Amino acid sequence: MSDVKRPRYSAWKLLTQGFSKKPWPKVWEHHELQSSYDVVIIGGGVHGLATAYYLARNHGITNVAVLEKFYIGSGGSGRNTAIVRSNYLTPEGSRFYDRSVKLYEHLAQDLNFNVMFEQRGHMTLAHSDSSLRTMRWRAEVNKLEGINSEVITPSEIKKLAPFLDITDHPRYPIHGALWHPPGGIIRHDAVVWGYARAAAALGTHIHQDTELTAIDVDSGRVIGVQTSRGPIATRVVINCTAGWASLISAMAGVTLPITTRPLQAAVTEPVKKFLHPVIVSGSLHTYVSQTSRGELVFGASVDPFASYSTRGSLEFTTGLATHVLELMPAISNMRLLRQWAGLCDMTPDFGPIIGPTPADGFYVDVGWGTYGFKAGPVAGESVADMIANGQPGRLIEPFGLDRFEKGTLTAEKGAAAVGH
Amino acid sequence: MLLIQCPHCGDRNSDEFTFNGEIVPRPDADADPATWRRYLYMKSNGDGWQTERWFHVSGCRRFLRVERNLDTNEIRDVRDYGDPS
Amino acid sequence: MSQHRLGARPGEVIDRDQPVEFKWNGKTVRGFEGDTIASALAANGVRVFSRSFKYHRPRGILTATYHDPNVIVQVGEDPNVRGAHQRIEAGMDVRSQNTWPSLGFDVKTVNRLVGRFLSPGFYYKTFIRPQSLWPTYAKVLSRFAAGGDVDPNHAPANFDHRYAHVDVLVAGGGPAGMAAAIAAADGGASVMLVEEEHDLGGHLRYGNSQDLEDLRELKTSVMTRPNIEVLTDSVVSGRFDHNWVSVVQRTIGHVEERLIQARVGALVVAAGTLERPYVFEGNDLPGVMLSTAVRRLINLHAVKPGDRAVVMTSNELGDAAITDLESAGVDVTKVLDARQGETVVKVSGGRRVKTVADSSGNTHRADLLVMAAGWTTPTSLLNMAGDRPKYSPEAARYLPLQLPDNVMVTGGMAGSGSTNELVDHGSATGAEAARRTKGEEPQPVPKLRPGIQPELYRSSTHGFVDYSEDVTSKDLISAAREGYDSMELAKRYTTVGMGPVQGKVEAVNAVAIHGEAVDNSLLETATTTWRPPYAPIRLGTLAGRKYEPVRYSAIQDWHEAYGYTPILAGQWVRPDHYGDPAAEVNAVRNGVGIIDVSPLGKIDLRGTDVPRLLEFVYVNKWSRLDVGKVRYGVMCAEDGVIMDDGVTGRLADDHYMMTTTSSGAGSVWNWLDDWLQTGFPSWDVRMTAVTDGWTSINVAGPRSRELVSRLTDIDLHPGSFGYMEVRTGTVAGIPGCFVWRIGFTGELSYEIHSPANHGLELWEALLRAGHDLGVTPFGLEAQRIMRLEKGHFIVGQDTDGLSQAHGFGVDWAIKMDKPDFAGKPELRFQAEHGEYPRLVAIQTLDPEVVPDEACQIISETGGIIGRVTSSRMSPTLGRSIALAQVEHTSAAPGTRINIRLTDGKTVTASVLQQHAHFDPDGSRLRA
Repeated sequence: MSDVKRPRYSAWKLLTQGFSKKPWPKVWEHHELQSSYDVVIIGGGVHGLATAYYLARNHGITNVAVLEKFYIGSGGSGRNTAIVRSNYLTPEGSRFYDRSVKLYEHLAQDLNFNVMFEQRGHMTLAHSDSSLRTMRWRAEVNKLEGINSEVITPSEIKKLAPFLDITDHPRYPIHGALWHPPGGIIRHDAVVWGYARAAAALGTHIHQDTELTAIDVDSGRVIGVQTSRGPIATRVVINCTAGWASLISAMAGVTLPITTRPLQAAVTEPVKKFLHPVIVSGSLHTYVSQTSRGELVFGASVDPFASYSTRGSLEFTTGLATHVLELMPAISNMRLLRQWAGLCDMTPDFGPIIGPTPADGFYVDVGWGTYGFKAGPVAGESVADMIANGQPGRLIEPFGLDRFEKGTLTAEKGAAAVGH
Repeated sequence: MLLIQCPHCGDRNSDEFTFNGEIVPRPDADADPATWRRYLYMKSNGDGWQTERWFHVSGCRRFLRVERNLDTNEIRDVRDYGDPS
Repeated sequence: MSQHRLGARPGEVIDRDQPVEFKWNGKTVRGFEGDTIASALAANGVRVFSRSFKYHRPRGILTATYHDPNVIVQVGEDPNVRGAHQRIEAGMDVRSQNTWPSLGFDVKTVNRLVGRFLSPGFYYKTFIRPQSLWPTYAKVLSRFAAGGDVDPNHAPANFDHRYAHVDVLVAGGGPAGMAAAIAAADGGASVMLVEEEHDLGGHLRYGNSQDLEDLRELKTSVMTRPNIEVLTDSVVSGRFDHNWVSVVQRTIGHVEERLIQARVGALVVAAGTLERPYVFEGNDLPGVMLSTAVRRLINLHAVKPGDRAVVMTSNELGDAAITDLESAGVDVTKVLDARQGETVVKVSGGRRVKTVADSSGNTHRADLLVMAAGWTTPTSLLNMAGDRPKYSPEAARYLPLQLPDNVMVTGGMAGSGSTNELVDHGSATGAEAARRTKGEEPQPVPKLRPGIQPELYRSSTHGFVDYSEDVTSKDLISAAREGYDSMELAKRYTTVGMGPVQGKVEAVNAVAIHGEAVDNSLLETATTTWRPPYAPIRLGTLAGRKYEPVRYSAIQDWHEAYGYTPILAGQWVRPDHYGDPAAEVNAVRNGVGIIDVSPLGKIDLRGTDVPRLLEFVYVNKWSRLDVGKVRYGVMCAEDGVIMDDGVTGRLADDHYMMTTTSSGAGSVWNWLDDWLQTGFPSWDVRMTAVTDGWTSINVAGPRSRELVSRLTDIDLHPGSFGYMEVRTGTVAGIPGCFVWRIGFTGELSYEIHSPANHGLELWEALLRAGHDLGVTPFGLEAQRIMRLEKGHFIVGQDTDGLSQAHGFGVDWAIKMDKPDFAGKPELRFQAEHGEYPRLVAIQTLDPEVVPDEACQIISETGGIIGRVTSSRMSPTLGRSIALAQVEHTSAAPGTRINIRLTDGKTVTASVLQQHAHFDPDGSRLRA
């Protein structure tokens, strides 16, 4: 059962509310900024809010502030393509994301908020024998981790996604695919709102329109933060941002192995449903799914150069359309409706950075590259554990900041080119 | 599509170039592991103006120093990598 | 003539001599050339064009423009066609969308009855338990997806791209835009004038006789200027960094659509204004139209929009609509002047307007309610240029605030004025734009007045704000009260502005009404963000003509004729085999074979410092390589990870030829250039990438010497041309070849490189000369088998993104006593650390089992300790062979390892002493 103390959402409540004149109760309240908090979380996205939720629910730590510069979910959490999966290449990656998928599977009930997780299956196409070998590598590692993942043939692909062109004439013939039934899509905003509502109900203060301006460090230890609404005394600060991770860490004197790059996405006008699974092509840098509203949502790989600008580019949409039509030539008349960009913090080995930093009391949960949204629940749960127990747990141990100095990079580096 | 003023070829679209990231000086080959790995992995990744390396791969094949604003993508200086700044 | 079609109008765009027949929901309908789908149907009395997304309410013409949310239809295989813009063509098959089973009777209208329970975000609050039923609910929800159909067998039409360089691009061909184009052209600029509608003129097109006169004059002036290119039915869809501008050209004839990408000196945005609806109960009933919509229908298409109208006006253009309605014989039964505080409160009717209630408490019988409630500034292109437009309470709309110097704005977007004032402003802007493109110091253009417009957003009742998404003002207010109390949150929660018109109709209304619930000054503090593209673009248009080049060697025609099975290797199409790879292997091992290895990367290096370069980029030593020798080298990145390997030969004193892997050719070339330019600019090295300049053929097998000797004057005697040596000379009569004696296959072999234009000639000569020797062409697969038999690794298959050089059997080559080389520090740390994975050759105990590549190697406790990187059935040895990466603790020769096969079974294998499965001491290739 959920610990959420708010009036519960249910079909019955929807019905009675429909007859009543009263407004729905507030999802979260506005609070004055307290002069001190036990924990200050920077970033009101899925990572920050999930961390706050698990701190409260699993560890009873509720004197927590989440600082959000704009509105909750305004960063990567609201700009990603809402794909959830766990078919990673490395055992540590698969294990970690598998936990995330499990949390997502029960999230609607945990949070009493329908996050609309649709496990429609996730298909990563292989266009060459070497790509097929990588798919098999992933499948084999996944199976050993108990994850449903297998290599399938073109005829099986055609059955699952009839619009894909599996003839041998395209420049990128389809040799096979990695098929991952538990993968799917979700309503990303609902995940943000669900966590925010549940965390707020447990006592977390969510401060929107509140910008971090400085982190106070005294003799190597965090003692507080400065914000656009005033100072906060605290001994624990967690950087849960994407796109600004380097800038915020620099406030605590911490340098990160991160380059920020825009990642663009686009959506078409809706058409009647024709595509059930999520389709990914690593070689074509494209992923596509059809929402329950009928729109196709497209993503690609990060932009070719670093930037903090989210204005987007034309070459993204022209390249994207070329690649999508290579996969599904029949949809050339569908119209692209809107494009947008988010910021991704790319690390050298495409693994995240979670854990303590040289500044005592300053923790990071950053460097998620293009995988941040998928990891939201497990990252929140793991970071909350780390704060409560004083040290990183098994799932996040491989992802510490010190691995770059030790030279023990994660092996996702090998697979980064082939999946999202 | 950015427009990059190549000092050798004139105004060219950015898709003729590859981006090589911020310029970080290479330490001595005898550097200790920490120094070496800072060079390999750590990035200042600041906002605002950055001096970075681009390679005119589909043009003159020269490596260039480019001053670009990471917030706006505005470019204010492009010179050959070997030219004094 | 239908009772709905009017007599001739002075500005009409239909050609009454050209009737056009098309189909509407299966029935044949007739219109005229120049009619849009909407006008032709309206002329036939059609009032309902679609059903709304959520409540399936009947919807009719609202804006009569491209952006009309209610007239989106399916045309043949083309979904979501803008029916109020698209002109009819003979035989068009037009169908209404989002209706089941029919437009007239739609079973989903049941949603209307339960509307009170379908509050915004209702789906977040239900279907939570039981979890097992959620997939079923999800399926039901997706049935309600709006939009047309796509056909899996649709054959894409031709789309096209064009690149343009223009000094001044004017977005919008209304009076100000035309004036700007004329002035810019007169200022010496090349001008592209882009108009979204089917003709120039903007609002003058459906104006009065003076407007039409002004239009004729301006248009003539535009058309007589050769340096103005006019594109109509075209739209500027985006403005990106550094004034990279996209234009979609819709009507071109020989191609479906064209995307123009233009680098623009100055962009002049003259996109005019869009009229916005007023929010009140019943504002979506068919028969509720914008004032500009009725004027378009009447004046452009000679269609009578209704019989009896109530008009709510708040501006001059609304007033003009009254005149037009009256001239069309519509009975204007009541004028509500919003400037005097008279507004509409409620419209009633079943499937169309029947009565109109006003703010004085009176009810009027009418079938048409015309609203002129104010304007929306389509600031899309300005937003893309970084502007954050600011709300003007006086004009009751957003106006531009701050733009970069290369983007200017004129016309209705910039303010308000008479035609003359707009034209003057356009001229001044166009002239200034032309000046700026010449690099002159920017000067401000005097501003237009913002104009006066009462702030009219919502009546005392609630109605629809977003027609495409079925979002009402009540929804917006209740969402804000529930806590979704910033515009962005409200937008995401209610989906207002997310539909096919993307806020063009509803943006300002949404901000104003959301503001009612949170903060009445919201309009002033918020801004509206419009994301690209301004108008939807077909994927085909974005993609353009298909262009996916591949590379072929000079021998490609022969491979095809010989029935090869191709394989894509990077950009190259190569022969994988010619029917039987195992037989090809046997032919090479027992006689002689030839393989086309032209994709091998080749870099010609000259200069006195080439040895220094080689010393730096390879891990091994190069200072003492004599002329006539070749050497194998491994190249690492700065992190010590293997990036490429290959042989380099010294052809003359200061002339070397480097080979790279096929896929690494480009990156190695760049890598060398990088060091030469940024690291060692003073070195004397001249480098040319010559991969395509040479055809490369490897002649392999015990009888290769015999074959090659028949064709060349080069002395092949083992004493004078040994293993790992290179010679230049004539082969098969082709001068200027170089030949090196190396062997990836493990056999005696000669790799002959001839000028590419003689490649096919050489290939055929080898086949002729070796006929009696049984010379056999072999492909990539046979080569891969043989290299695996020999235990040679392939970079990127047996190595991966973390494979540092130690542990891959090349430790002998890594020379740590060199002062510096790429990757040295990491390789030093790697060696000190010691616990890195090893590449080993393995053989399964059961010789028949070939574990698939990528199968995992499992420890006793079930953990992953390695993987199979290459595996094949060896035709030479008649058994399964493999290479694998394993943890160092499992790398000792003789170690038994367990491999988990893809079916879950386990097979045991043994680690070999060395990488080679076959001829480990290399006696065959040294023969």
